[in-house]
Amino acid sequence: MNRLSTFKSILWAITGLAIAFGATRMIFGLGSVSNLSDATPWGIWKGINVVPGIALAAGGFVVTAIIYVMRRHEYHQYAKVSVLLAFLGYITAATALVVELGLPWMVWHPIIYWQHHSALFEISWCVILYLTVLFLEFIPVPLEETSRFAGIRRFLTKYKIVLVFLGIMISTLHQSSLGTLFLITPEKLHPLWYTSILPLLFFISAIAIGPLMLIVAILTISTLYRKHLEMNKLSNIALISMVVLIVYGLLRWIDLAVAGKIAMAFDGSWQTGVFWMENALMLFIPVILLSIPATRRSKTGLWTATGSAVLGMVLNRANMAGIMLVNTGNIYTPTLYEIFISLGIIAAAILAFLFCIERFNIWDVKWTSDEERPDASPRFGHASEVWLGTPRIAGRAVYSLVFVFSLAVGLAVIPSNRIQSAGVRDVPVSRARGGATLNIDGNRDGYGVAFAHDDHARRIGGDSMCVVCHHSNIPLDSQSSCYECHSNMYTTADIFRHDWHADPEGGNLACNICHKADEQRTASTAVACDHCHKDLVPSGATIEIKQYLAPSYADALHGTCITCHKQKAAEMADKENLGQCATCHKLDAPSYLPAEVVTAFRDTMYNHVVLPHDTKNDMSDDLDEAKDNINR
Amino acid sequence: MKAILTDITKCIGCSECVVACKTYNKLQYDVPRDWHRNDGLSARNWTAIIHKAGPHYIRKQCRHCLEPACVSACPVAALVTTKEGAVIYKPEKCIGCRYCMVACPYGIPRYDWEHAIPYIQKCNMCHDRLRQGKQPACTEACPTGATIFGEREELLAEAHRRIQAEPDKYIDHVFGEFEVGGTVVLYISDIDLGFLTYPVKSGDKVLPKTTAPAMSAVPPAFLGMGAIMGGLYWFCKRRERLQNEKKNGKVDS
Repeated sequence: MNRLSTFKSILWAITGLAIAFGATRMIFGLGSVSNLSDATPWGIWKGINVVPGIALAAGGFVVTAIIYVMRRHEYHQYAKVSVLLAFLGYITAATALVVELGLPWMVWHPIIYWQHHSALFEISWCVILYLTVLFLEFIPVPLEETSRFAGIRRFLTKYKIVLVFLGIMISTLHQSSLGTLFLITPEKLHPLWYTSILPLLFFISAIAIGPLMLIVAILTISTLYRKHLEMNKLSNIALISMVVLIVYGLLRWIDLAVAGKIAMAFDGSWQTGVFWMENALMLFIPVILLSIPATRRSKTGLWTATGSAVLGMVLNRANMAGIMLVNTGNIYTPTLYEIFISLGIIAAAILAFLFCIERFNIWDVKWTSDEERPDASPRFGHASEVWLGTPRIAGRAVYSLVFVFSLAVGLAVIPSNRIQSAGVRDVPVSRARGGATLNIDGNRDGYGVAFAHDDHARRIGGDSMCVVCHHSNIPLDSQSSCYECHSNMYTTADIFRHDWHADPEGGNLACNICHKADEQRTASTAVACDHCHKDLVPSGATIEIKQYLAPSYADALHGTCITCHKQKAAEMADKENLGQCATCHKLDAPSYLPAEVVTAFRDTMYNHVVLPHDTKNDMSDDLDEAKDNINR
Repeated sequence: MKAILTDITKCIGCSECVVACKTYNKLQYDVPRDWHRNDGLSARNWTAIIHKAGPHYIRKQCRHCLEPACVSACPVAALVTTKEGAVIYKPEKCIGCRYCMVACPYGIPRYDWEHAIPYIQKCNMCHDRLRQGKQPACTEACPTGATIFGEREELLAEAHRRIQAEPDKYIDHVFGEFEVGGTVVLYISDIDLGFLTYPVKSGDKVLPKTTAPAMSAVPPAFLGMGAIMGGLYWFCKRRERLQNEKKNGKVDS
């Protein structure tokens, strides 16, 4: 494998992983793959793909401004590649938005629902318009391959200057508005980053680092395709960028000094570490390296300086969008899935970039025959290597294999535990403690209810009436504890153990004992529990099988207790407080409760009381029905 | 302008308001999830009781700011202020950008992270009940009168009256009277309620005004950049032409 095909294989592999994880996100929601949260709603997709993607694409408007507005025709060879880079940068941002937005199919809504106070509204409009402009700027290049649309191509080339002007004007707006986005978060963004001149800083840093990104792209092409570089021109562009970068640095540090925040950069917290890293990457390293003429003209020096600036810029934007929203009480750390989706979008963009470079007349790496390809070196003398055909066919085979393999790996490692739990933590419950009075504190967090069990049993009607509260008793067990079925605090419970009934070591029942032969085998067509378990229900009662998700432990108990309590409160004039939460959950005696209700369980505290009502899962209806059936 | 006044000293933490909210708004079961903040609010809990030592019970809900950051942030006007003062959410417009969550100074809006079709979830002050002339479900359910509903001016006067009547009992401050430009949901309390917002306080700063100057500079910036570039273009083109003439002249002579 040579340099180019190795690089492409790695990109295809990352893309494959990203597609697997991206599909997971689309099907199972944002929570399934990301660590985004109510405290940090924006993460690396906004911080690495969307915001820096747009900023790094600024090379498009800066370089076209240099060539077409300032009439520096010696840089004309960079025009097409900078437009392509900008176009792909914006497409990267748009692709990331598809993953990042909660409702990506509504992304066009800013076109019809106007809200001109919002920076994001302005950015959406600009991005839509600038994507159109970039498309029109770029489309003559592929059209060179065909003679069919020569008229369109000539028209677009003739009025190119109009597109260039529009591009510059629109870019000015949204490059700075990306900074305006974060002006509204003074209480969340770290003070070393928050300043009222954010729009200006964003705009100037985009002008500085956009062209450096272009240099990174050109250096990459020359490394991959072994092409000669015109170091003079590149170092001139880098010099312009360096001057703008110094302006940016001065503005940023003077602003910090004026606001009296410089001391804050030395307080030794991890945030200041990130701050210095960002400044070093984005500002100090590039400026120092580019200010030395010898380094500026050397390939290694240029690589280091531009690469460092680009990384620093990405870190800066990522800090704004997620990492440094520190005052929310949460620290956001992206998951590996998020990181691979992020990298995959970038990898796919680089592949598209390389495709355009190879296919169209953009740079001098286009080839017409296979012999000209950089990966066409014939391989002799390697007995172990299999000749896969011409480089093009070999490439297709290798990349397809890598892509499919990594897609399969991605699908194999999708976070099934995250998907199934849907963010719910595993809180196993344990048996209620006590005798005649039970301390029901299923999740052992100190918040519970002291429940007078024997007293309740007596009121309901004695030992034969356990089934009023204890549904689905385990056979031969007259008082199954709640926790035996509702074994986890917040996951749904399996109150009928189907597999256990069918298992030879369990119930050992054939299918036809419960399911009739000529009907579909579903729960609703099966016979009810009392078909076998005659002793489970009082004589005369009937059981109807209904399907609903058994609610969580706390909610199950609430459903059981509250239904009855509310009913009794309505029936009995002297028990009107029975339906109040504080009847069972007590800390201090509420003034409106009679004293004798309060005295007993002063040491138990109440938890959040979350009551289920009017939901599909509500079990109170079923309980009412069960009780009606029993009474009949 | 309507308002809700919550008197922390009167709240017994019974959570009847939470129950009423969930019942009226048909919110489903809630369970603690990884992405929740630990303040009890979530996509299924639009209001919640926060326990503080004492005991103190503080009901957290959307503050319905008079100049809401979320409304100014939303790019598609999916969040709007009604004439009653409620900040309501229109899911049919939402694109899911979550900028409102980033912008809110109280960290109120929550998200359906577990759903493939997620929406923002927040208290809407039962605005459909307000339109029918009723009060919100939570204030109606409160058994002790700790959280009450009324006209904002009247409730502000009532809050100040209570503070003046018992100055030893209350902190001399109506929370929400001026913060972030004033809120519809007001609190009076015997403890500091600073924890309801972020550690770095934006104080009385009106958040939409932080972005307003930059947003109003957009049209001038657009035209100004066009003018600068136009001037530059004219200048460079002229210089180019003069240079060419000079060069050609030399060739001729």
